[in-house]
Amino acid sequence: MASRDRVRFNVGGQLFETTSTTLANAGRESMLGALLDESWNPGQPEYFIDRNPACFSTLLDLLRTGALHIPSNVPEKLLYREALYYGLLDHVRGAKWGPFDGNTLRLADSVPGRAPGDGTAIRGAPDGGCCVAHGSVVHVYNWMLEERRPISLDYQQVNDVGYIDANSIVITARERLGKGDGGMAVFSAATGELRHRFRVEHGRQPKSFTAGALSLAGLDDHRIFSSCKGRLNEYGIGVWDHNTGQQVDFFYEHPGCSLGDADKLQWLPSKNCLMVATLFPRTDNCFIGLLDLRDKSIPWCWSDAGITMNLEDKRVLHAIAMEDGHSICVINQYDDLGFIDLRAGNTNSAGTGVRWSSRSKLMNQKVPYEESCYPKLATHNGQLFSCMNDSISVFSGSEHVLTSTLRRSYGGSICDFSIGGDRLFALHNEENVFDVWDSPPCPII
Amino acid sequence: MNAQSQSQSQSQRRKNFKIEAFKHKVELDPKYAERTWKVLEHAIHEIYNNNASRLSFEELYRSAYNMVLHKYGDKLYSGLVATMTAHLNKIAKSVESAQGGLFLEKLNHKWADHNKALQMIRDILMYMDRSYVPTSHKTPVHELGLNLWRDHIIHSPNIQARLQDTLLDLVQRERTGDVINRGLMRNITKMLMDLGSSVYQDDFEKPFLDVSASFYSGESQQFIECCDCGSYLKKAERRLNEEIERVSHYLDAKTEVKITSAVEREMIANHMQRLVHMDNSGLVNMLIDDKYDDLSRMYSLFKRVPDGLSTIRDVMTSYLRERGRVLVTDTERLKDPVEFVQCLLNEKDKHDKIISTAFNNDKTFQNALNSSFEYFINLNNRSPESISLYLDDKLRKGLKGASEEEVEVVLDKVMMLFRYLQEKDVFEKYYKQHLAKRLLSGKTVSDDAERSMIVKLKTECGYQFTSKLEGMFTDMKTSEDTMLDFYAKQSAELGDGPTLAVQILTTGSWPTQPTAACNLPPEILTVCEKFRTYYLGTHSGRRLTWQTNMGTADIKATFGKGHKHELNVSTYQMCVLMLFNSADGLTYREIEQATEIPALDLKRCLQSLACVKGKNVLRKEPMSKDISEEDVFYFNDKFTSKFVKVKIGTVVAQKESEPEKQEMRQRVEEDRKPQIEAAIVRIMKSRRVLDHNSIVAEVTKQLQSRFLPNPVVIKKRIESLIEREFLERDKADRKLYRYLA
Repeated sequence: MASRDRVRFNVGGQLFETTSTTLANAGRESMLGALLDESWNPGQPEYFIDRNPACFSTLLDLLRTGALHIPSNVPEKLLYREALYYGLLDHVRGAKWGPFDGNTLRLADSVPGRAPGDGTAIRGAPDGGCCVAHGSVVHVYNWMLEERRPISLDYQQVNDVGYIDANSIVITARERLGKGDGGMAVFSAATGELRHRFRVEHGRQPKSFTAGALSLAGLDDHRIFSSCKGRLNEYGIGVWDHNTGQQVDFFYEHPGCSLGDADKLQWLPSKNCLMVATLFPRTDNCFIGLLDLRDKSIPWCWSDAGITMNLEDKRVLHAIAMEDGHSICVINQYDDLGFIDLRAGNTNSAGTGVRWSSRSKLMNQKVPYEESCYPKLATHNGQLFSCMNDSISVFSGSEHVLTSTLRRSYGGSICDFSIGGDRLFALHNEENVFDVWDSPPCPII
Repeated sequence: MNAQSQSQSQSQRRKNFKIEAFKHKVELDPKYAERTWKVLEHAIHEIYNNNASRLSFEELYRSAYNMVLHKYGDKLYSGLVATMTAHLNKIAKSVESAQGGLFLEKLNHKWADHNKALQMIRDILMYMDRSYVPTSHKTPVHELGLNLWRDHIIHSPNIQARLQDTLLDLVQRERTGDVINRGLMRNITKMLMDLGSSVYQDDFEKPFLDVSASFYSGESQQFIECCDCGSYLKKAERRLNEEIERVSHYLDAKTEVKITSAVEREMIANHMQRLVHMDNSGLVNMLIDDKYDDLSRMYSLFKRVPDGLSTIRDVMTSYLRERGRVLVTDTERLKDPVEFVQCLLNEKDKHDKIISTAFNNDKTFQNALNSSFEYFINLNNRSPESISLYLDDKLRKGLKGASEEEVEVVLDKVMMLFRYLQEKDVFEKYYKQHLAKRLLSGKTVSDDAERSMIVKLKTECGYQFTSKLEGMFTDMKTSEDTMLDFYAKQSAELGDGPTLAVQILTTGSWPTQPTAACNLPPEILTVCEKFRTYYLGTHSGRRLTWQTNMGTADIKATFGKGHKHELNVSTYQMCVLMLFNSADGLTYREIEQATEIPALDLKRCLQSLACVKGKNVLRKEPMSKDISEEDVFYFNDKFTSKFVKVKIGTVVAQKESEPEKQEMRQRVEEDRKPQIEAAIVRIMKSRRVLDHNSIVAEVTKQLQSRFLPNPVVIKKRIESLIEREFLERDKADRKLYRYLA
């Protein structure tokens, strides 16, 4: 019984013995799975495979233990190539890094950019790849951090990017005066080809527009939201279905709240509302509101309009709705975190309602860099992340205690960061380099 | 091979410098691609020819990998399409040439082969599927194989129609009773589903549904001509189940709804009216004969089609109404009210059972049954009386020996009929009268049953409805106590005189008529006067009048040969008999003068004393059935009876005589007047101004729990209230009334 279970390979001249049970971990949809399938006269004394033995050895260990250990004499890219040959690339990816936890992050890689400056946004893909919006081009990287064909929407200034799924990237771009281009489109991440261009209709007339901030509703909800500016003051939030590609709704801007210029959109499933934040310095006054698309109402909003501001005053520079849907977290130029309670009803009374944490005074010993970037916020699994200057702070627990700081020695301040595919990606301003942080796989014991 | 692997690692090294080296290498051997493809093409042939055992998977996989790696993906892919197409064309020829019944077998066989081959081809080309196919917008190998099969086999002109005909023919044969190879059918329909839902739908499902519809249209036509309703429904049900079973055996589960709706439409919806109205076997006959199975089948089948249940319900309702109408207007039947009400109850039970066993206790059917009963019970204005009489009968004797639960069941059933009544106040009148008689004569079977009935009426109609009935019970209790007290205090004075039992009835609680008391015999009168003195002595400010028409008496009589009997008689009868203590013969006029009993009552009383066989303690001359004013009465010395105690009833028609009925009606109408007026005033007090129609509507709504007021009467009451200046007509709009405070 035991000997029948045994399988012998001669890989590039080196002998390997293993069991069909171990090989079964490769799955039927792999080269090794097919090799041992009964349709291909199995039961030979020895299978010859004309491939690199060192890589085979590593991959065989992966099948045996579920853990990936790459020997120093095996180049990583070569291993990936071999894994692709055997159909084991997904196994490798799954073993390369573990479940995301902001407090165990390690720097996995730093990838240099193409040109310095004006990085707009970085987004993590669901499979661990990422894309970087840089000027009028979006550079796409697979999870092995190999660059794919860059994509662009007619080389317009890209405003925002997002992943619909691992292979579909949606891009919003600015419209050039008099050209009727810009707008929003979906591209293939693998080939960079244009798949679909989203249209906006006003009064049944298709109109050209500038698309700004993006948000995707979620897993089972196929809606995409984007702030839109048309040329004839058609400002507001456009809503599309990414399955059908059709526009499904448009929320026209109410007077006193700018939606077409929004910095941040976020769909809140628990409230069935879209959070829209238009913030300093894009506008003089900050506005954060929840939009109910069903009856086109704004059930909640906050604004600091009506207060005369000094330069030193705390201004809200970025906002994110917390995952529990009870509050919105904001950040100011001093790296202070603040919270606005969503349950407290409308806080229209100018600028009040933000509960700033006092932590900042301890934190901010140094003066911000001369060429600093505006801070950004993100949440993941109950952890809150903020970037300021050249570091990212991780806050954990219900009290949002600072538990980790991620910093790398060069690259200048961080202009954007994103969490996706169990990885954190941080884009630096000066060198246009981006860092990839991930959590190691589970320890041996 | 060794050389190649070396050049590859070379390229790895060079990649760090520039990509040009890579290009260079590809051009090294221009025949390489052609040669590799030949190997793979040969392998595909061998796989299709079931010769795969000699092939080396590893070698083939590596060859395909190399072609893709060296940018020959296009060549590989197009070669695959061409090779597979060529094989499929060959397969098509061989399937086409299959004879008759072997056609499907052959197709199934080849399909299995193709699937196996496809799997192996996919194994070889796995790398192409992973890297070349997604980036060049090609169809993955497996899907490609299915598409080619669809285009070259299933949609081949010589196969497409033949396949469809064969499948439909097999279904048709199975429908007519043949046994077919279901496994084969399942494989073929599964193949069509694997090729995509649109293939299954277009090439099989749509024509299948069309053919089925016309088949069942014809069959239902044939059945309906020669079957009765019950057996038609059985056949329809069987067909429906057959189709459901067919789907579960060899069709797509999604087809079930479509085929069942086709069968439902053709076999049921199109023939509904004809089925329910079928002569001698339709719905009405099923209801009459309690055919629960057939009714249940009809219900479940009709439920599946639009308007099915309402069709059954409508026919049932009109049948029930007609049947009920005949029942309540049958004058013969009405002669015995107990029988009549029992008949209604039986009718209700019967249909309740039908609804619960056959109609799934459907609420809408229950409502239809209730509304039908409500409709026909009120067609007859004697219904309230009949129901009260039925209760009277039950509470007098019918429930003797019945357990508490059984009593409750009977009472609940009667209450159900009571709920259908519109003229509940008429019922109340009768019930009061009947209850009074039961209480005074001590004939009630069980106090608990009486009280339970009153509680039921109270919960149904409220406190007001039963307060007087409860008063009657209180009176009975008080009377008992009073009598005990009377005898305790006065026994010494009373001596040996006749024993008196008085029931003191509160005026108003009881249905008493102000009738003049008759002349009581002096012996009785003495006791009565003593009681009056006692009673008025203990209760000041009261008035006591004797209701001699309602009393009873036990008297002892000695007949010829010393026969002694105890006679149980009414007070009137007692008065008459006492006269014979001092005279042997008396004329009618003499009796009338001596007793002053009203003529009608006296006649009844004498009739029961002289004309009833076995109870004739008096002898009448001349002998006849009826009493005339010229008759002479004698003490019947020869009276004998085997009982010591003889109860002499009064000849009272259990039902009222015509004039009494008229009188009762009148009293009811009279009683309604103040109720209607009170309702009008209540409404006007809160609304101040209202038009005529709204008043009528609101009054009707307020009073409908007791009776249905007649709009003409309401109008009269309004006029009366205007006269008495409770209301006035609006000056401008004569239709409006105003309330005058």
